[in-house]
Amino acid sequence: MAIDPKYVELINADIDGEISSADRAAFEAFIADSPEAQALHAELSAVHASLDSLPELDSPPHLKHTIMASIPEQNEGARSTPGAFLQTLFAAPALRYTAVFAAGSVLTLSLVSSDIVSQGAFDDMTGLVGTISDQIPQGPSIQTTPIESKDIAGTVTLHSSGPILIVDFDLVSSGPVDIVASYVDKKVWFNGFAQLESPGVSVSAESGRITMQIDGKRRYALYLHNAGDRDITIHLQFTSNGEAVYDTDIEYVQPGHSG
Amino acid sequence: MERSLKGDRHAFETLLVKYERPVYNAAYRMLHNPDDARDVTQTVFLKVYEHLDQYDPARRFFSWVYRITLNESINWLKKSSRQATLEQDTADQGSGPRQQAGQAQIGEGIQAALMTIKSEYRAVIVLKHVLGCSYSEISEVLDIPVKKVKSRLYTARQLLQERLTEQGLH
Repeated sequence: MAIDPKYVELINADIDGEISSADRAAFEAFIADSPEAQALHAELSAVHASLDSLPELDSPPHLKHTIMASIPEQNEGARSTPGAFLQTLFAAPALRYTAVFAAGSVLTLSLVSSDIVSQGAFDDMTGLVGTISDQIPQGPSIQTTPIESKDIAGTVTLHSSGPILIVDFDLVSSGPVDIVASYVDKKVWFNGFAQLESPGVSVSAESGRITMQIDGKRRYALYLHNAGDRDITIHLQFTSNGEAVYDTDIEYVQPGHSG
Repeated sequence: MERSLKGDRHAFETLLVKYERPVYNAAYRMLHNPDDARDVTQTVFLKVYEHLDQYDPARRFFSWVYRITLNESINWLKKSSRQATLEQDTADQGSGPRQQAGQAQIGEGIQAALMTIKSEYRAVIVLKHVLGCSYSEISEVLDIPVKKVKSRLYTARQLLQERLTEQGLH
């Protein structure tokens, strides 16, 4: 026999601890005489207990910092500026690189002096303006390296596209952090640097050594020209307040050389 | 709260500390994917910050934040079309010995069952059992009458009870 909907509601209210004192007496009298109501109460109580047993999860490390680093530096006046809006777009994870870069004008490409940048390299760089997402292969990356320290966290991913090696940095720092990318092969040269227009990022390059400084959440890419498709190891050194806080190597091995 | 409305980052950080974990948990229970939950959590707080000037102080702050969380989670599901995949995945898991081994797997089974019901039902379950909201608070978050909250909760639990029975967890 179907249970009167009024009592179904009271059974749920009892399980949820929301039954009123006015309804309690009627509810208890009804359920005492109704095996169906008792069965429903038991079933729903079991579901209730199962759901309440779901463990509370810890939020991911650095999430709070990532969020704080993503919001505009200034107050509400800044919130309405295009820059602040773009910064938020940049931070919005669903948009990621592609959507942001598709916006076109938000991208700045920073070419910095290098003692060995060739004209050919410059030609390559002009093709990269506004199309960085296209330049990062959609297939599997060669290597993704997690960076995890109290001062800086995120990932560095290496991609290859023809003669260009792309080192994709997706990092958040708790303060200014210097990153030195160094390699010894003189036939691999610095080809460019791309980032969103944002304060607190700088880069300088010399033969075999590229130095960047970041502060907060940043995503940017380094381009290395590797015309000979040579094996290369890039050492990354992270420094905060003059102290080394993390270091790691990323490696490119030309197809057929691995294993 | 007032200082956050004026764009005070430190005050906003205080709100973030208070709500980061519940928002992440709610997003995870809606999406069943830690990476997606992290991204949605980040999006929620960015939206909160960007739209603080639109917050109606007549409403309780948590209800606004939780509403954004559920809406973002549902939008995420729609955009990524994850729901169909997840439903298939959870259907594939089905019942079996693995489902009965240990509390962690029971928790996974419950979560898997949760992913098989419509997001509107999952939302009331999340509000009630993950965020600990009362009927009236759920009503405020979802902007639906209390009576509808009760009926949705009842339907959601009945559906879950069926799924859990199918999985051998009840």
